[in-house]
Amino acid sequence: MSLEPEDEVIICRCEEVSLKEILEAIAEGARTVNEVKMRTRAGMGLCQGKTCRRLVSQILAQQTGQPMGEIMPATFRPPVRPVPIGVLATGDDEG
Amino acid sequence: MLPDVVVIGGGIVGCSCAYYLAREGVRVCLVEKGNLASGTSRAGQSHIVLWEEPDINLQLEKASRLLYEALAEELPFDIEYRRTGSLALVENAGDWEPFERTVHSLQARGLDCQLLTSTDLCRLEPNLAPDLAGGAYFPEDAQVNPILTTLALAQAAKNMGAEIRPFTEVTGIELSAERKVTAVDTTTGRIPTAIVVNAAGVWSAAIGTMVGLEIPVIPRRGHIIVTEPVPDNLINCKIILAAGYMQTLGATSGVAMSANIQQTHSGNLLLGSSRDFGGFDRTVRPEVIRAQLARNLRFLPALANIHVIRTYAGLRPYSPDLVPIISEGDGVKGFYIATGHEGAGITMAPITGKLISEMITSKAPTVPLEPLSLRRFSHRQEEDRLG
Ligand SMILES: Cc1cc2nc3c(=O)[nH]c(=O)nc-3n(C[C@H](O)[C@H](O)[C@H](O)COP(=O)(O)OP(=O)(O)OC[C@H]3O[C@@H](n4cnc5c(N)ncnc54)[C@H](O)[C@@H]3O)c2cc1C
Repeated sequence: MSLEPEDEVIICRCEEVSLKEILEAIAEGARTVNEVKMRTRAGMGLCQGKTCRRLVSQILAQQTGQPMGEIMPATFRPPVRPVPIGVLATGDDEG
Repeated sequence: MLPDVVVIGGGIVGCSCAYYLAREGVRVCLVEKGNLASGTSRAGQSHIVLWEEPDINLQLEKASRLLYEALAEELPFDIEYRRTGSLALVENAGDWEPFERTVHSLQARGLDCQLLTSTDLCRLEPNLAPDLAGGAYFPEDAQVNPILTTLALAQAAKNMGAEIRPFTEVTGIELSAERKVTAVDTTTGRIPTAIVVNAAGVWSAAIGTMVGLEIPVIPRRGHIIVTEPVPDNLINCKIILAAGYMQTLGATSGVAMSANIQQTHSGNLLLGSSRDFGGFDRTVRPEVIRAQLARNLRFLPALANIHVIRTYAGLRPYSPDLVPIISEGDGVKGFYIATGHEGAGITMAPITGKLISEMITSKAPTVPLEPLSLRRFSHRQEEDRLG
């Protein structure tokens, strides 16, 4: 595959995953946002995919021809915002 | 060309079976209902553990760790294998004596490990709680990325000619009148074959039912907490767990819990570990997360200021005696079973694949097979019945 300049575009900023790496993951068989995440770490960073999830879905839809609605969103898992362990363990985050 | 063997399950165990079979020149077709590593193998921590009881597990683990050394070289991409060693911590003075006995018994069986005093611990890991009773260091333990390992084993098998068929769910297994396997029915077509390997993890009991075999494997849930990447010097040994971890394996009710801290290649911490039986439910229980965090904080107070970025639950394939089932299916010719690894399936995947390939190609087994047989459960029932 010839390297296009735009392939270097960073899609996941937290983990610095480029468009090229995402395209490679899809070429290797990734079909969902989660599978792209497992192979590239896109969406595994501090923001947990808040920024890149949509972009990754769009790239998947475009590459695989699946409609956006069929591409499973990467599973959202609590917490939605990073919480320090000292706070979580004592339950002070509730309220 | 028709496959010689159909492997059911694209987790770390099934992919290892495919890999070791393909290496022997066997034509393999691996079928997976979702994508590779979409089951338990993506939910695990990263510990290649060598000090589990009973003795057969210790033997499997030692053999498997050696295979990992070779796999790290052989596989087509990096699986993040490192010889990190592991550190077991004893919380209370009252627990020291039984732990010391365990370590001596492991040493007597040839495992390299050293007891550590609380002073040793403070020196080696200054961020640990200062009031622990002591611990032990297991230099042979290691770490690996289970997802990358699953994908790399599948890729290597494919490079040797195996067919890997994701999004293919097995719906039935056809037997001849003499109860020999003749074909596997799937959502993407019928695959004629004389041999199948059931490596379907927590779903392996359902596959057993298809041929009338009872495989006593059930899901055992475990919660994991993922933190932001932390500085490399927070913990020097990348796998630190409470010595009480080994006792939680035997619990049969409630939520058994123990501290288990692992730092991955990317710097994040994976905090375990809990065990409870809740069927196939993978819902995260906030009260378990809280208690699990509190357990880990007790041993590593420096965690207090570190951020959690994610939590999840996975299902361990639990076998009632905590020993995996690596076996022929009695009374069904051509049916093999590779499952029930509970919390050590990442550790034991390489040896499991090797043993299955040895069984199928009629080679002498690396580890004795009798304690791993499915038959042991029916014998046990028989004995119970006879009193
Ligand atoms: C929280 C947690 C922490 C853990 N930590 C560790 C650790 O540190 N070290 C360690 O050694 N182990 C660990 N484990 C255990 C380890 O993850 C498992 O033992 C191992 O992943 C099991 O692998 P498997 O291939 O048998 O199962 P799976 O990965 O579940 O693979 C089985 C596959 O079969 C497929 N399948 C099911 N039914 C069908 C069908 N009808 N047709 C086609 N395909 C089908 C499934 O989709 C699945 O992909 C941990 C587990 C958990 C849950």
